[in-house]
Amino acid sequence: MAEKTNRRHVTIAGRGFDLTNRGVARAVRGVDPEPIASHYVVIEGRRFPPKQVITQVTGLDRADFTSHQARRTLLRLGFPAGRRTRASSTARAPSSAAAPEGLADRLRSLAGQWVAIRDDDVLHAAGSPHELVSWLMRHGQTAQSMFRVPEDDVAASGLAPL
Amino acid sequence: MRFAFRELPDPGAASVRARPIVDVVVEGLDIVPQACLIDSGATAVRFGLHVAELCGIELSGADERRIAVGGALVRARMASVSLRVADAVESHSWEAPVWFCDPWAPAFGLLGLTGFFDHFEVIVAAYEERLELNPVPKLTL
Repeated sequence: MAEKTNRRHVTIAGRGFDLTNRGVARAVRGVDPEPIASHYVVIEGRRFPPKQVITQVTGLDRADFTSHQARRTLLRLGFPAGRRTRASSTARAPSSAAAPEGLADRLRSLAGQWVAIRDDDVLHAAGSPHELVSWLMRHGQTAQSMFRVPEDDVAASGLAPL
Repeated sequence: MRFAFRELPDPGAASVRARPIVDVVVEGLDIVPQACLIDSGATAVRFGLHVAELCGIELSGADERRIAVGGALVRARMASVSLRVADAVESHSWEAPVWFCDPWAPAFGLLGLTGFFDHFEVIVAAYEERLELNPVPKLTL
């Protein structure tokens, strides 16, 4: 299979943009992902709604383009994309993934961070439990589970005191 | 109540082993149930101090101890709190003495003997990666 180009000239809402994989990743690095309603793209281990990413990168109003356009643009830049399925307890695998990754695999890149999990998805990751809960409340979200992703043996094992 | 074992990343292991982890709602804080490892080697229920902070549990004047966790001394303070577990079909709530620890190295809470195992019959079917919790009826004296 040919490797995907990581530089693209795209036209969105009648305006031309030169986008690169790295530029997009850099643009969303300090950005809090919004809740995923349906479609998502994975950027540096975090899931974003495609329209949020394109808005962040281009400065366009999100009413100016569709979710489908945003998703297609990001897929062409090589970002894995997927879709949450509410009825199922598991999310569909990202489009560019060869095999479905389990939650534990997807959590590896978030070692040391606090995560809120719902339907086997990472709803949000944050640097502290307080930030995580603030995000949930701000976005009216409910998690099914919260924990810190283990970053070492002690964190992973529990090492119960007697 | 039945639960499947869950996998968490384990940086020290070659492969991930699913473990008996359940989500516990502490003091009715429904928006973030706390992931907890069921640990028959622990004598008590223990969480990080952040859980008390998130739930607004007052710990000033609480029973306090120093305990060793992973070679480090930890300050642990106890409060009696309400806990709830639920599977897809049913749920069970109970009051338990919980020790809130600072610092807290584990990535999750620990459900130990006092406060958890004395409230449930616990079946751990590791070969099937399945966990069953049957609430024990309260004794009336």
